Amino acid sequence: MNRTRALIKKITWSIFTILFVIVLNFFLFRVLPGDPARAGIRDPRLKKEAVEMLRVRFGLDKQVINCFESLNPIKVGSCTVNPLDTQFFIYARNLLQGELGISYHTNRPVADVLAERLWNTVLLIGAGQILSIIIGVVFGVFAAWKARTSIDYVAVITSLMAWSLPTFWLAIILLFWGSNNGLPLAGKASPGSSALPLLQQWVDIARHMILPTLTYTIVYMGEYTLIMRSSLMDVLSEDYILTAKAKGLSTFQILKDHALKNAMLPLVTVIAINLGFTVAGAIQIEAVIFLARAGQRDF
Amino acid sequence: MKHRMLYILILAALILSACGGAPSGANGATDEPSVVHVGWAGSPDSLNPGLAILTESYTIFDLVYDSMYNLNLDGSFTLNLADSVDRSDDGLVYTFKIKDGIKWHDGKPLTAEDVSFSYNLYKDTPEYPYLNGYYTPYFSSIESTEKNEVVLTLTEAIPNLESQLVFLYIIPKHIWENENKVEFENTAMIGSGPFKMAEYVQNEFVRLTANKEHFATPPKVDEVIFQTFENQDALVQAIKTGQMDMITEMPNTAVASLKTVENVEVVVGAPFSPGVSDIIFNQTEEENCPTPEEGGICTGHPALRDRNVRLAMSHATDKQKLIDVVLLGLGTPGLTLIPDGLGVWYNDSLKDYEFDVAQANQILDDAGYLDTDGDKIRELPDGSRPLTFRLNWPSDSISAPRTAELLSEMWGEIGITLEMQAVDPDALTSQCCPAFDFDIMLWGWASDPDPSALLYVYTSEAIPTGSSETGYSNPVYDDLYAKQQIELDFEARKAIVWEMQKIVHEDVVYIIPFYEQATQAYRTDRFTGWITNQAKVELPDSSSLVLIEPVK
Repeated sequence: MNRTRALIKKITWSIFTILFVIVLNFFLFRVLPGDPARAGIRDPRLKKEAVEMLRVRFGLDKQVINCFESLNPIKVGSCTVNPLDTQFFIYARNLLQGELGISYHTNRPVADVLAERLWNTVLLIGAGQILSIIIGVVFGVFAAWKARTSIDYVAVITSLMAWSLPTFWLAIILLFWGSNNGLPLAGKASPGSSALPLLQQWVDIARHMILPTLTYTIVYMGEYTLIMRSSLMDVLSEDYILTAKAKGLSTFQILKDHALKNAMLPLVTVIAINLGFTVAGAIQIEAVIFLARAGQRDF
Repeated sequence: MKHRMLYILILAALILSACGGAPSGANGATDEPSVVHVGWAGSPDSLNPGLAILTESYTIFDLVYDSMYNLNLDGSFTLNLADSVDRSDDGLVYTFKIKDGIKWHDGKPLTAEDVSFSYNLYKDTPEYPYLNGYYTPYFSSIESTEKNEVVLTLTEAIPNLESQLVFLYIIPKHIWENENKVEFENTAMIGSGPFKMAEYVQNEFVRLTANKEHFATPPKVDEVIFQTFENQDALVQAIKTGQMDMITEMPNTAVASLKTVENVEVVVGAPFSPGVSDIIFNQTEEENCPTPEEGGICTGHPALRDRNVRLAMSHATDKQKLIDVVLLGLGTPGLTLIPDGLGVWYNDSLKDYEFDVAQANQILDDAGYLDTDGDKIRELPDGSRPLTFRLNWPSDSISAPRTAELLSEMWGEIGITLEMQAVDPDALTSQCCPAFDFDIMLWGWASDPDPSALLYVYTSEAIPTGSSETGYSNPVYDDLYAKQQIELDFEARKAIVWEMQKIVHEDVVYIIPFYEQATQAYRTDRFTGWITNQAKVELPDSSSLVLIEPVK
């Protein structure tokens, strides 16, 4: 009973959150200056009617919402328009139907474009997270168990360095290294590889994944090592660990059965947060670059 | 014990790096077909010729499709799909005799009917604004005859039909007539050109195979792969290590070092689609300001409407220094929006304003712009406002921040200060035109092979539409623009176009700091036959890709 109520509460909240995000995103883009049809205006080859046509095609000729024709610059419009015929409600309705519209940039359905990119992102984040968690936990455990020894210092210094490296800089350095070792520097798979047997296709994709995954792993590994180390050190100073030692348990047993389980909690939290951020972050970055490209003319 | 742990750590690090270092199945090419690997930093935006905007799309169209004319790298045109063309005496009717025996990649014959279908489609589809807005507005009707001829009737006799037709690619009627013209992504891309579309993944690669049966220029290589790179440093690295055989772009900072690499040849010259960087002065007069309905705001500094001020700023601008610092020398000083890359249309008889700070100061002194309050900044003759200008540029521009810094220094010498700010390109567009809510902007254009499009930017007609960035208005110029649009005699038209450049140069409508040069590179140990001795540099042009062959 209690569980059902909690579930309903959670679901209600997430619906509200999603609604909030939808509304905010919609108006954010209307408040920011510039619209895609206007970006086209700067091309002297485009006639006025053509720009108007673009506006109609992307639905930008409609009022943003009742009483407002546009939000930047703020232009008051008619308040008697059928609310279902305003940009906001058309957007909301399409979104509910899973219709994301057509990209201004590529003229392709946005859903297709996102799906293509999402697959790359998931592949990268999946591999990167798994590797960095494994390495981070192993390094963190070593460092904590051997605290204030040379192993600890090496692990801490390496992790701090890895964590604070600017990602783009690390990526460029790895790129130079990779190119000298025959690794592909671009793309997800080799052109023409789709005709190869499945196993070779996977090997090919794996080769393409090495550089981005490595970058990702190094960046996150540092964070995980440091968190693992500090939380494990906290746990290791507890009395029950001393008791376990006094009982004559082996190092491995103490770590595995008594210390690690309790020390994992902060790490799990951070991993969960990171996962959410990285997926959203990657999509956002791609989307932003995307929009910027649709708007720019030269340079 | 301690030491053993350390070893484990080091070992782990080694294993980590070794994972990366073991390429599997990278080599082992024995009897492979000759494949040209081209690296670029872009990707086509669409393969539908009616919708595409980016030059990357046009590069692919040029290889997979044919058009009536080919645009050569020296700027001239040659008839491609037709054996002959006949122009009526009044210049209104063109009859093209289409070559017999041309085949689509799927084996069906290409006939006059496909040509007329394509032109009618481009003309009549409102969703193709880039094509019918500029290339087909003078087309009245297009018909095909039974003798495999295409009859094109114009509404007005125009001098530049070749440049109007060159980007109107011929597409197969038997495929397109069944498709929705706006939604058709055209990824299978059946064409008639020297290369066939084999495989396409947007933002990753385009793989083309040779059409050895092409009627005019069958390629000697077997395949061309265009690979998209996320950044330009990776491109440079890829040609250094031989992963790519040719790259279409690189940062200017890489040119010097790449020139020293063995087996790599760097080519520098005018770009295929010549680019212009411009310093835009808002000189909109109150009477020219677009109406509020059209979006006019017009907040430009009044001093910029005075030619003397713009002239003085011109004299105070050291273009060579801008080229050396911003482009590392890879550019030529600019005059007007018509770049030197346009060949005959570029008025090379114009003399630029000499870089002379003393003269610039003298001009401002004489015009009454004096520093009355001793703060090293001049004021308007009536003393009401200092010569402090807002200077904005698109935040995605790499070169603009440096240009802005240098301009601030140079113009500081003549008592002008700048409030500098990078602005998001979309926001800049809405400040720019037709709002005219700025003082000075740094931006740029890419040019068509015909000068008409960029000449239009200076006209009064372009002010409310948003194409004009300066609000410049000169009835004499407007008349000349209309005249050159319909002047059929080449020499006469050229004279008008040259005269127009003279006028806008004398009126100092813009300061054009430079025309950027294209930088491309190819590996000399892979393929030979690249065309590099022409006015324009464009290695991925079909003219090069059909000629090159593997080095033996």
